[in-house]
Amino acid sequence: MTKLSPLSVPYRVLQRGGSIAFALVFALASGASSIPFLGLAGPIAFVVLAALIILLVVAYELAYYRRYEYELTTDTFDIQSGVVARRNREIPLRRIQNVDISRNVVQRVLGVAAVDFETAGGSETEAAIRYVSFEEAKRLQGEIRRLKRGAEDPAERETEPASELFALSDRELALVGALSFDFRVPGILFVLGSGSFPILSTAVPDGGGFPVVVGGLLFLFVVVVLFSWAAGAVLAIVNYYGFRLLRTGDELQYERGLLQRYDGSIPLDKIQTLTVEDNPLKRYFDYATLYIETAGYAPGQGGGGRGSQAAVPLATRPRVEQLANDIESFGAPEFQRPPRRVRRRYAARYLIGLGVVTALLFGVDSLLAQSLPWFGTAVLLPLVPFAAHVKWKHRGYWLGDDHVVTRNGVLKRQIKVVPYYRIQTVIDSRTIFQRRWKLATVTVDTAGSLSLTQQDAAAVDVDVQTAAKLRGTLEERLRSALAARRSASRSGGTRTATLSEGRTEEPTDGVPAAEDRETDVSEDDPPTAESDPETERGSNTEAGGEAESTETRDPG
Amino acid sequence: MNSLHPRVQVVWIGRALFLAGVVGLVVVAVDRLAVSLPALVPPAVILFVAVVGVVHALLRYRLWGYEVREDSIYLERGVLTRVRTVVPFVRIQHVDSSRGPVERVLGLATTVVYTAGSRGADVSVPGLTPDGADDLRERLRRLAIRAESEDAV
Repeated sequence: MTKLSPLSVPYRVLQRGGSIAFALVFALASGASSIPFLGLAGPIAFVVLAALIILLVVAYELAYYRRYEYELTTDTFDIQSGVVARRNREIPLRRIQNVDISRNVVQRVLGVAAVDFETAGGSETEAAIRYVSFEEAKRLQGEIRRLKRGAEDPAERETEPASELFALSDRELALVGALSFDFRVPGILFVLGSGSFPILSTAVPDGGGFPVVVGGLLFLFVVVVLFSWAAGAVLAIVNYYGFRLLRTGDELQYERGLLQRYDGSIPLDKIQTLTVEDNPLKRYFDYATLYIETAGYAPGQGGGGRGSQAAVPLATRPRVEQLANDIESFGAPEFQRPPRRVRRRYAARYLIGLGVVTALLFGVDSLLAQSLPWFGTAVLLPLVPFAAHVKWKHRGYWLGDDHVVTRNGVLKRQIKVVPYYRIQTVIDSRTIFQRRWKLATVTVDTAGSLSLTQQDAAAVDVDVQTAAKLRGTLEERLRSALAARRSASRSGGTRTATLSEGRTEEPTDGVPAAEDRETDVSEDDPPTAESDPETERGSNTEAGGEAESTETRDPG
Repeated sequence: MNSLHPRVQVVWIGRALFLAGVVGLVVVAVDRLAVSLPALVPPAVILFVAVVGVVHALLRYRLWGYEVREDSIYLERGVLTRVRTVVPFVRIQHVDSSRGPVERVLGLATTVVYTAGSRGADVSVPGLTPDGADDLRERLRRLAIRAESEDAV
């Protein structure tokens, strides 16, 4: 059994102590130390109390260090921990999807790192080790990777050569900052800031009139734009400094980060969706970003959040498409756009939006003493048909040999590639407005996680008949893709995969959440199910309800 | 296309009326404590919410349908947004049948189908009889097992 790094003790003490110290200083400053009935003894009692707390913290962290042990066996990763309540955990290696290492600046100086184990189905980190030395963290990462591949043969235990697929040059890093402009931010800030109009308008000198107000608004707009650009650039640079993408066998590894450094992995056989993303600025310069979505939780920000990781933060478009095709060979999509009447729908939508804004401005104007140029929105009118056309132009879907590819968005355009065998359910939805236009949206649900900003691959606003056909086709192709994989694995496909194949053959389909059901450590059952994975139960009463559940079989 | 048991409308209408009551309480509170509204407003609001809720519940019942097909289960539902969902049997992780307290009083049950998806993670068929829910659960379970083990191709 291995222990944590000894340096973790002072670091953890500082971490915990930091917040306590802050609270103490705050209390001191606010005069809480002068407890009335103690008089002069008040501050002294306070200092004694503070010292006691510090001692307690140090003692606790020392105990935690001494009582924390872990061990990597051939099938499991065992952790024994806990100061007051002991906890023995055995995590089957099969469940571990990623081993992610992160280090902040202080940790890098000390040479320690935090290790997170991610599984496919959880909504939070399965296990977190705080802190081991960086070399030990790398060793764990490599060992688990090898053991998962079932490398029994000692000869295979040599370090597999990691080939570098992509490294972000300094120039590209600068471009990442420059081009990572979130076009929605200025809009949101503008809307939020518009609440200050009444106050601002009183600052405007009387008699200045229309040009001054417009000038002021423009100035404000430019300031907001520049600010959000700068913020986005700094964030992007901090996140992607020193970005590298490497391939080791059937896994992609990435390194990134300036302040917080991440060493993580993307298992190729867990990939649910590939996303090629760009914005108008990137499109102009012919650049794009590649995101890879796996099932389960991925720590750290800047990758799109939960479950989605930037595989290529920025590269020329052909290069991104090449790399994407290396991972999932989908070919060159020829998108089918929605019917042309959809443009009229978008134009109507924008006109209504403009109308609402104008009405709001008019209302504000009539309530205030100052006169607001509520008719200023007329300036945006000629843009409406252009905006509608552009939005329509960038929509599309394509059914490839093995993948369905969808394209949506203008300010943030996403081309999503979903292999047929990753499709979970197909959802056809029609809002009340879509029904009027005889349109529908077909959404492809995958096991990849969904954050607030990401969306599922969807063929949006297609004709209703196309939607019905699409539903049937997708279901059919899912079945044949699954059958093909099943028969391939039965005829003894090997486990190693080249990058161009992109996935290993597995006896069960690569639906990660499913694999968790058959393990003994049942920690990530779906939120509401009361199912026992191994046995069938008769009735299982719970507070207020009666649930009978059945486990079907080895998941597909 | 199978429809749900008519009694599920009682559940939905009940929920709508409950919502109308809550809204009514809020409006009355606003009337007493904050802005004083004309005397007719609270009852009008309650009536409006109740009527809309009841109509929605009835329409919802009419539009709900499910079908166990050859390789998937197909559901149609929704009033404002009509949603049709196809859950292939191979994707079913497991199936639950459950009865909440209101359902037990009314003699109804729900069958829930779980997949590994994110948006369609659980798909429920409410308003079934207890036996119907158990039957559906068993049927789906067998179909799911068969779909997995089938040597297609």
